[in-house]
Formats: sequence, structure tokens, C-alpha cells
Amino acid sequence: MNEQQFEQLQVDVHDARRPLNRITMQAELIKMALNGDVTLEKAMIALDKIITECKSCSESLSQIVARNRPDSQDNPE
Amino acid sequence: MLTVLLVDDDTEFLDVACTIIEFLGHEVLTATNLEEARDWVKKETFDHILLDFMLPDGSGLHLLESLPEKSPTHVTLITGHPSVRGIIKDLCGPKVDYLVKPIQREDIEQVLSRKSSARSSPNAKKPAFTKHFGHLIGESACMHELYKLIGRVSKTQANVMLLGESGAGKEVVAAAIHQASESEGPYVATNCGAFSKELIGSELFGHEKGAFTGAVGKKAGVFEQAENGTLFLDEITEMPIDMQPNLLRVLENKVVIRVGGTKTIPVNCRVVSATNRSMEEIAQSKVLREDIYFRLAVFPITIPPLRERKDDIPMLAEYFIHQLNEENGTQYQWQSSQLEQLSAYDWPGNIRELRHFVHRAAIMSDPQSSTLDLPKTIESPFAKKQNLSSGLKAGRTIEEVEKELIYATLEKVDGNKTTAAEMLGISTKTLYNRLHAYGDLSASDK
Repeated sequence: MNEQQFEQLQVDVHDARRPLNRITMQAELIKMALNGDVTLEKAMIALDKIITECKSCSESLSQIVARNRPDSQDNPE
Repeated sequence: MLTVLLVDDDTEFLDVACTIIEFLGHEVLTATNLEEARDWVKKETFDHILLDFMLPDGSGLHLLESLPEKSPTHVTLITGHPSVRGIIKDLCGPKVDYLVKPIQREDIEQVLSRKSSARSSPNAKKPAFTKHFGHLIGESACMHELYKLIGRVSKTQANVMLLGESGAGKEVVAAAIHQASESEGPYVATNCGAFSKELIGSELFGHEKGAFTGAVGKKAGVFEQAENGTLFLDEITEMPIDMQPNLLRVLENKVVIRVGGTKTIPVNCRVVSATNRSMEEIAQSKVLREDIYFRLAVFPITIPPLRERKDDIPMLAEYFIHQLNEENGTQYQWQSSQLEQLSAYDWPGNIRELRHFVHRAAIMSDPQSSTLDLPKTIESPFAKKQNLSSGLKAGRTIEEVEKELIYATLEKVDGNKTTAAEMLGISTKTLYNRLHAYGDLSASDK
């Protein structure tokens, strides 16, 4: 992997980490709801957001794979 | 409470992180880019800034240049990669640290409590305490039942009356109800037993300038202060009976008239009241008008005494000693035999008595050692006196007090009637006669 590819990979991983960060925080919100610290409605919204973010993360990972495929036009190799 | 600035371009993350930081008891302001963050820093002084490393209009590090040279603000950079750690250490010095995404609640909690944790030993184990509704500690079945009730009532606007023994934590439960309600307004607490008849009107409803000698300015009462929030009226049964119609009028009409004023002021708050008297006692002693009781006790909650939740005693003792360690830089630790000793005692003064006992133990112990020296005796003379005096209230008959004394003595000697009679200074025959008269002795016992 050359330097340019590595830089691109870093950007892709950064983008994939964003939904993971959101998922973690939403999970914390659900823990608080189960403790009775916030309403259960907030937990339901958080669960929906987790599902959305999982799809987004999966999409980002697919893009990373596609971009690093040997025959990809994005791959300078 | 800290004032925190949270800077991140991810609004969804901002939203949840704000909820968590506010729940932890801090005030939080947000910015989604460097420019907004710089504006905040010019206008406000922050105790702590949580700062995303990569912002749409530049690196978060540029914000550090906007901070005054000897600023007390602590900065935590939020980064996606741990390799940034080295750069941060070299560039920013000890007042700046970092968090790596994805971030958990504990991470936020840890960086915001950095000041206190820095004082304690880095090797000291940090115990985890779950504070239900941000205030309540305890995992016993009766506490979980209490959490369920708090969760239910917090979703409504109903007035709550808290019943529980002295020291059981009524004010803490009131604060928990306020926290769970997520109301916009503040939590305001006052003690109805602490004011004279002349002053309680002014405390509750406020006064206008010149309303009475010493009223040099106008003052908002606690009902006004708690607008859209929660008003906690402690020791409600100690409120003078002739002031109660005024309180009833406020509860019914949701308006107050300040002492010496004529204007009606609309008020809107949940009233959480508390008393250490039982429902039966309230009804019998007539310390609270019936109409007020039904207005205040729409949802009565009884807080269990500590002796009914003994499983929580070790956890509470750990929590109190942890707090004292944090405050004083000590490293005291309980031994399991000591926790067993604490659990065996009944704590008539409840959690307040336990907390003071732990404090006393910490004062008595050697601060260089981790061993706690417990006082020889746990009994609180005040709690004992309180128990005894309950039997000696005016209005009770000599027969009633005598009966109570006989049963208390029998309990003390495990039912041994000969020993009990000796202690009471009566013959065994007299004791049997009394028990027989109470209908508590079968013919075979004679």
C-alpha cells in the first residue's frame, strides 16, 4: 500500500468511526433509560438511530472494500 | 457543577453527549465549528472544554490559542486515533488530554472528574456506583420498587408526598423526582418547620416592599422561584395549621399573592412534600388539614428505612468512604468484617446516621493507613433517645405505656418471663396476669 492509498484509508476509517461513535452514545442513552434516568421514548428513538448508523457503517465498510479492490479505478495500483 | 463547552461537528453526538453531561450535573454549551467555539470562549469562562480534533473550519487545536494564557480551563481533545496522543502531549502540556472515539459515558465522567481523581492515588481502585435518577444508591428490591414509582410519577405533574423516617433520604428522593421529570424549571427546597408563623408566608408566597418591618425590598416566594420546576416542602406537617388555608388556595388556584400585595401571580410547579409521620399519625394528630393532605398526597411514596434494605448498607458505606477519600486525599478501605458489622446494626437514624458514622470512623483513623478504625459502639444516643421518647408522648394512658414497656422488656430478654419480671421490678405472677389481661397468653402458658 502506498502513501496515497494509506491516507485515503485513514479518511475512510475516520468516516466509518463516526457512526460507531454515535452508536456508542445512543447505547449509553438506552442504559440511562433502563435505569430510569431518561424516558423510554428516548430509548426507542436511540434504538432506531442505532439501526440507521449500523447501516451507515456497513455502507462505509463496503465502500472501503470497493475502493481497495485491485481492479478498482480508485485504486492507483 | 462544571461549566462545559462541547465542540463537535456531529450534531447527533452533541445531542446525546449533552444529555449525559447534564445528567452528570454539569452545565453544557455547544459549538459545531471553530468559529462558534471561539465566540463562546470570548463570552464565557469554562471549567472544561471537550473539543473535537477535526472541525470543518480547522483543527480544534486552534481554539487553544483563543484561551487566555493562564486560563484555568481544562481541555480534552476528542480524536479518532490514539496516535494523536503523542502530538497532544508535546504540544499542549498537562492541562490538555484526549479521548479516543468511540466515547462512552464513563470516559466523559472520568475526564470531567479529573480534578478530584488527580488528588487520589493513581493506583487506587475507583469503585463504580450507579446513581439512579442521578441521586439514589441502592440495588435492593424495595429500592427498585421505589425507582419504579419515581419513574412512573415523574411522567406526570402529580404532587407527591414522601413518607419516611428521619434520615431515610426524603430530600434526595425529591431531587431524584425532579431529575427524572426533566422539567425546565429549577428544583427549590424549603423546610416548613424552620420558619416562624410570621415568616413562613413570606418564604412560601413572597412579599412586597414594606409588607412588614424589615421587608426592605420585594421578594419572590419559593412557589414563584420553582416556576416550571419542583418545589420541595420538607416537614410539611410542622407547618402552622392557620397558614394551611393559604397553602390550599395556592394548590387549588395555582396563583399566589405576595404578603402585602394584591396582584395574583400565576405559578406552575410540582409540589413534593415530605414528613416523617406515618399516614395514620397524620390522620390522628390533625397536624395537616384533610383537604391539604389530599392535594399534596396525590401520589404518596413511602421511603423504606435502612433496616429494611440491609443489602444496601455495604454499598452505601463504600460510597460514603469513597466520597471522603476523594475530599481528603485518603485511601481508606472497608474490611469485609467491618461491613458485616455495619449490616448487622439496625440504623434507627437511617442513612444519615450511617453517613455520620462513616465520617466519624474516617476522622478517628490514621490518614496514612488504609485501615478504618471503627468506634467501639455503633449506637447513636440520639437515635435511642428518639425511640424511647415515642412512648412517652402526652395523651397516652399509663396502661398503654406500661404495656409497651412490658413487651419491650420481653423482647430484650428473648421472651424469658422470669428475667423480664425481675427487670420490671414486678413478680412473675403479676407479669403473667398482665399478659393474660392483654389476651396475649394462652391458658397453657400459665
